[in-house]
This record gives sequence, structure tokens and C-alpha cells, in this order.
Amino acid sequence: MVIRLIERFCLGFLLLLAAYPFLWMVLSSFKTNREIYNPAKLLPQSLDPFAYRLLFSGEFIDFYEVLLRSILLAGGQAILASFITAAVGFALAKGRFRGKMILTGLSLLVILYPKQAMNLSLFEWMVSMEMIGSSYGLLISGVASGLGVLFFTQVFRKIPDELMDLARVEGQSLVRSFICFLPLIKPALVTYCILHFFLCWQDHLLPLLVLGSDQLTLPLALAKLGDSSYRIPEAVGLAAGSLATIPLLVLFGLFFRHIRTALSDWVVS
Amino acid sequence: MSQSQTASGKDKLSSLFFLIGPFILLWSFFWMVPLVGSFEQSFEVSPQSIEQPDLKEHSAWINYERTFKDTKFIKSLENTLIFVGSTVAITLLLGFFLASALFGLTKLISGICLFVLLIPSLALPGTLASLFYLFFHGKAGALNQFLIIPLGFEPINWMMDPGWILPCLILQAVWRWTGLITLLLYCGMRAIPSWQFELARLEGASGWSRLSTILYPGVKHLLFFGGIFLFVDGVAAFSGAYNLLGGSGGVLDAGLLFVTYAYQVAFPGGAGRFDLPLASAMCILVAVSTVLISWFCIHFHKQKHSQEW
Repeated sequence: MVIRLIERFCLGFLLLLAAYPFLWMVLSSFKTNREIYNPAKLLPQSLDPFAYRLLFSGEFIDFYEVLLRSILLAGGQAILASFITAAVGFALAKGRFRGKMILTGLSLLVILYPKQAMNLSLFEWMVSMEMIGSSYGLLISGVASGLGVLFFTQVFRKIPDELMDLARVEGQSLVRSFICFLPLIKPALVTYCILHFFLCWQDHLLPLLVLGSDQLTLPLALAKLGDSSYRIPEAVGLAAGSLATIPLLVLFGLFFRHIRTALSDWVVS
Repeated sequence: MSQSQTASGKDKLSSLFFLIGPFILLWSFFWMVPLVGSFEQSFEVSPQSIEQPDLKEHSAWINYERTFKDTKFIKSLENTLIFVGSTVAITLLLGFFLASALFGLTKLISGICLFVLLIPSLALPGTLASLFYLFFHGKAGALNQFLIIPLGFEPINWMMDPGWILPCLILQAVWRWTGLITLLLYCGMRAIPSWQFELARLEGASGWSRLSTILYPGVKHLLFFGGIFLFVDGVAAFSGAYNLLGGSGGVLDAGLLFVTYAYQVAFPGGAGRFDLPLASAMCILVAVSTVLISWFCIHFHKQKHSQEW
């Protein structure tokens, strides 16, 4: 009983540690610098949204453009990566061909090779291909995801082989079978799409190298707003931080049950 | 017959091309070619390497030699190892504790708790760094106000004291990843067959034996997977440290991580030297070591697992 109580207390404390700073962040986006530098105080003196006005005024950054660029980049890359890696996963799980081990090994290699260590070489390569400053180049550079391939291989392995045999008897090609099977893995597709969106949304180093200073994504914009040399009120950075976190919270909130189910299925397989 | 076999073979090949082709193409273009280019570049001689008289001028491995003689690189590697080791150990322990605590709750309450725990994972590392700086840091910050001063110690200047910069980065990483690891382990615990818990209940097993004989064995593969993920992510950590320390390594380079240093070596500005060959050599060395360590870990884990069965 005592152990259970201690366990619940620790759980409550850790939940508070996870959520309270974010509540403080949202409320602090209405505070002045003087109030912010006293973090023990939670509530602002007034609910004046001056920081949001400043953020959207375009005085420091064009926040609309930054937000739109981040959404398009992360969304576009996530959708492309989901379908392309699902196709490879399907081929690995249900196809009969030589070189499966090599393809799985390549995917594992992409996961194990630290991405940020790869970015300098990728930057050099993109310079030589004249892709610097191109959002499209940045978008497609992250589509070949090893995690996606391994995730979808496990997902498709759970689909009964009898269905695949039936498709073969009906004379369907592998591509046609893949398209027919897509509705069956909808939760997994949604889950991976959100996970990839989340990873791309947080990417910092490659956009920093590839995009110009007038083409900021959210992580770059936050770094600029937090830079003390620009003398921007702290509340503006906190307002941007709140607005950058809310879309992901909403996305995860909406699909949380899907994600939990898909992850549980994946864990079992 | 042979004609139909050839036709079906061609169909299969074109199907495989459509399924695998785009991935292979993108993988080659944005992964393999840059990697080979980087490897080639690591053998180029930069103006900085000629300035070092103690190194053989035309040695093909000059950048690798310079890497091992660079004290700042060694320092960044030491910091990264401490950062990665501590982050992996603390996050996995906390994640396991939280997942097992949530496992005893109803599905609705555990779902709400999991969602709350996930908030730091969903925030941008830049947001976490700002929050860390404004909320936890400083004399009036939460860490000093609620932890250090009540315990009777002097307030700590977290980001200026070299002894505390790296622990700050570790805390930030643990705060960020604990929710995601908890979600993964919780899903793993949910997948354990319910008869195991029924049997434990009938035998009157204690909470500890339930934890050590059912929950831990049930998720140990996920703990391993989480460990590998955190290890690779830790080696590649950049954004949090970049935002918190403004692209530097902090006082006395106490928080200098490997990627930050490679970035400093590669690009001008601040301490930058625009020495891409040296930066490439550093990246190749560290990344290849990371892949090899992870690969061996996976291999031994699989071997051990197959022996168990």
C-alpha cells in the first residue's frame, strides 16, 4: 500500500514536471520580460496578446510564412515517405525476390547512421547539385526513411498470406496487390505519417545549412527569436514556441488512439 | 509456356521496380552518394592541414591524424559519451518506472497521463531549450527555487558553471524523450498475455516479482530498441545544445557535443574554420563507430535471444 502511494506520488510529480512548464510557457506568452524572469509566478498580470501581435506583425520574422513552410515541408515529406516506405515494406514482407536481406540491411543502416553526421556530406552534395535554397530539395532528401521500411515490413507481415495467395490466383501484380492492401493498414499509415511529420517538424541542422536566411522553418525561427542579440521580448519567443507545439498536440490528440493501437500491434509483431 | 514465364518474370520485375525503385533511387541520391563524397573529401588536404608542420603534408590520412590530435574533438567526444550514456540510462529507467505505474491504471486515465507525458517529446528542441533557460535556469528559476534552495544549498548558476552545463543538457534530453519511451514500453506491457498476470495473482506474487518476472521480460526487447534509438539520437544531438548554448560549447567547452563541434569546424562564423575535409573525417569516424557499436549490440542481443529460446 505504501509502495503504491509512493509510486502514485512519483507519477504525479513527473506528470507535473512534463506539463507544468508548458502551461507556464503558454501563460508567459502574455507576460512582460520582468514577469517572465520570475518563473515561480504562473499567472500573467494581464492577458494582453501583445507578443502574438508582434509575432504576426512581421517585425522580426514572417511567422505566417515560417509556419506554412514548416507545415508544407513536414507534411509533404511525411506523406511521400509513408507511401514510398510502405511500398518497400510490402515488397519485403510479401514479395519473393532475391536481395531482401540487403534491402533490410540498407534500411537498418539508414537508422543507425546518425542523421546529423550525414548532414554535412548532404549539404556538400546539395551544393554541387545546386539545390541550396530549395525547399523541394530539402523535402525529398528525407523521404528514404529506414525506420519506415522496417515499420511497414512488420505491419505487412501481420496480413495473412492467404490474402496474398488469393491476389496471385486472381492474377494481380504486386503493385495492384499493394494498392488493394493499403486500406487494411490505414492506422499504421496514419501513425507513421504523424511520426515522420513530427521528426521532420523538429529537424534543425539540415534546414539551417540548406535554406537561406530568408527561408526559415520553425526551429530556425525559434533560434532567431531566442537570440539575445536581436533584443526581442521573451514573450514573442514563447508565443512562437506555443504556436509551434499546439499543431502537434492537436494532431497527436486526434489520432492518439490510432497511434497507441498501431504501436501495440507493431510491438507484438 | 516459356513465353508466359518470361512475361510473368517481366511483370514481377516491373512491379518490384515500382515498389522498391523510388526508395532505392532516393536512398542512392541522398544517402549513398553524399556518404561516398564525404569519405572522399575526408582525404582532401585543406589549407589548415598544410599549416600544421608536425603532420606529414601529403599523407592520405592527414585529416584523420588531425582529428585524433585535436583536443577539442576529444573533449567533444568525451562530453557526447557522457551525454549519451546518462541520457540512455536515466530515460530507460524512468520510462520503465512510468510505464509500469501507468499499467496499473484504467485505460482512460493511463491514456491521459501518457498524452501529458508526451508533451515535451512533441515540442521543438528550441522550445525546450527556451523553456529550460527561462523556467528552470537562473537564480530565480524553478530548479533553484524548488529544489536547491529548499535543500539548504547555494543557488546554482546552471548555464555558467562548467560543472552543471552537461547535466543541464542531459536533463533536457531526458525530459524530452521520457514520454515517448514510456509510450513504447506501455504498449509493450499491454501486449503481454493476460494469463501471465492471472497466474501471478493466483500464486500471490508480490509487486516486485510481477515486475521482474512478467513486466521486465515482456518489454526487454523494447528497452533494447529504445536504448539503440536514444544512443543514435544522442550521438546526433544538435538542436537542444545549439539553442541553449548559442552554437558554442558553453564555458570551457563543458557542453561541447560532437555535432556542434563538427559544425564549428565546417562553417565560418564564431569559432568556425571552414575546414570541411577535417569535419568530414570527424563525421565519418564517429558515425561509422556508432553504426558498428549499434550493429554489434543488435547482433549480440539477437544471439542471446535465440539461445534463450
